[in-house]
Amino acid sequence: MTSACEATTRTLPGAAVIELSGEVDGSAAAVLTDAYERAVTASPENHDTVVLDFAAVDYINSTGIALIVSVLARARAERRKVVASGLSPHYREIFDITRLSDFIELFPDLDRAVSELTHPAA
Amino acid sequence: MTQVAPRRLDTFTLASEPGNERLALARVASTVKDIGLSDARLERLKTAVAEATMNAIEHGNGNRPEIPVEVAVTQDGDEIIVAITDQGGEVHPEADEQEEPDLIRKLDGDQSPRGWGLFLIRNMVDAMDITTDGQRHTIWLTMRTGGAADDERM
Repeated sequence: MTSACEATTRTLPGAAVIELSGEVDGSAAAVLTDAYERAVTASPENHDTVVLDFAAVDYINSTGIALIVSVLARARAERRKVVASGLSPHYREIFDITRLSDFIELFPDLDRAVSELTHPAA
Repeated sequence: MTQVAPRRLDTFTLASEPGNERLALARVASTVKDIGLSDARLERLKTAVAEATMNAIEHGNGNRPEIPVEVAVTQDGDEIIVAITDQGGEVHPEADEQEEPDLIRKLDGDQSPRGWGLFLIRNMVDAMDITTDGQRHTIWLTMRTGGAADDERM
C-alpha cells in the first residue's frame, strides 16, 4: 500500500528528530519504523530522546495512533524519551483523549521542543 | 411551537476501498461547513466520519469495492446527523474493538496497539448509535451546532 506519509530525520543537539508530513495512517507503518530506526542509529549520542514533529501532518487516524503507540512502546523498552511537536489543537485533543500526552510531552513547535531539550528550565 | 422537519443535506455512496474514508470526510465537511459548527467541532465530526467510514469499509464490507458504503447527512434542528451504512449485518466484526482501549496495557504489550476507532468516535461526537436490520449496519453520528459547550474540551 502506497503511503501518503513522508519522514525526514535529522540530528540536533540533544535529540534525534523525525519530521513527518502528509497522512499518518496504517499505510505509514514502514515509513515511521524506518524513520525511527534511522533517527536512533544516526545519532547515538542523542538517541535518548526522539522528537516526532507533526507540523506538516494534515491527517492522523486511529491506525496512525496505533503506529504512534507502537513507536512509543519500542522507545520505552529502549529507555528513550519521546516528545512531540507541531500538533494541531485537534490532534492535541486526541493525544489527550487517548492519554498519549501522559507519556509524550507536547510542544507547540519544533523550535520550542529543541530549545527545551537543549536548555531545560531549571 | 412549530416543528421543523429534518432536512436531508446530502447522500452519497463510496466504494469499499481503503483510503476512501478521506473522500467521506471531505464531502461531509463541505456539506456542513456553513451551518454553525465551530472549527473545533467540525474537526471532531471529520474524525468521527473518517473512523466510522473506515470501519464500514474494512469491517462491514470487507474491503470489497463493489459493496458501497452509504452516507447520509441530515440536519434536524440544531443537530447534524451523519448516518454511515454498510452491509456488515447483525454481528459487525470490529474484532479489535471488543474492549476499551487502555494505553498502559498497549504499551506493556497486553493489548493490541490498534482498537482506537470506536473509542475516538464516541469521544468526538455528542451521540453515537448503531442500528442494524440484519444485513444493513448503520452508525449514527450526532453533532449539535452552536452552544456554550461548543469547545469545552479544547
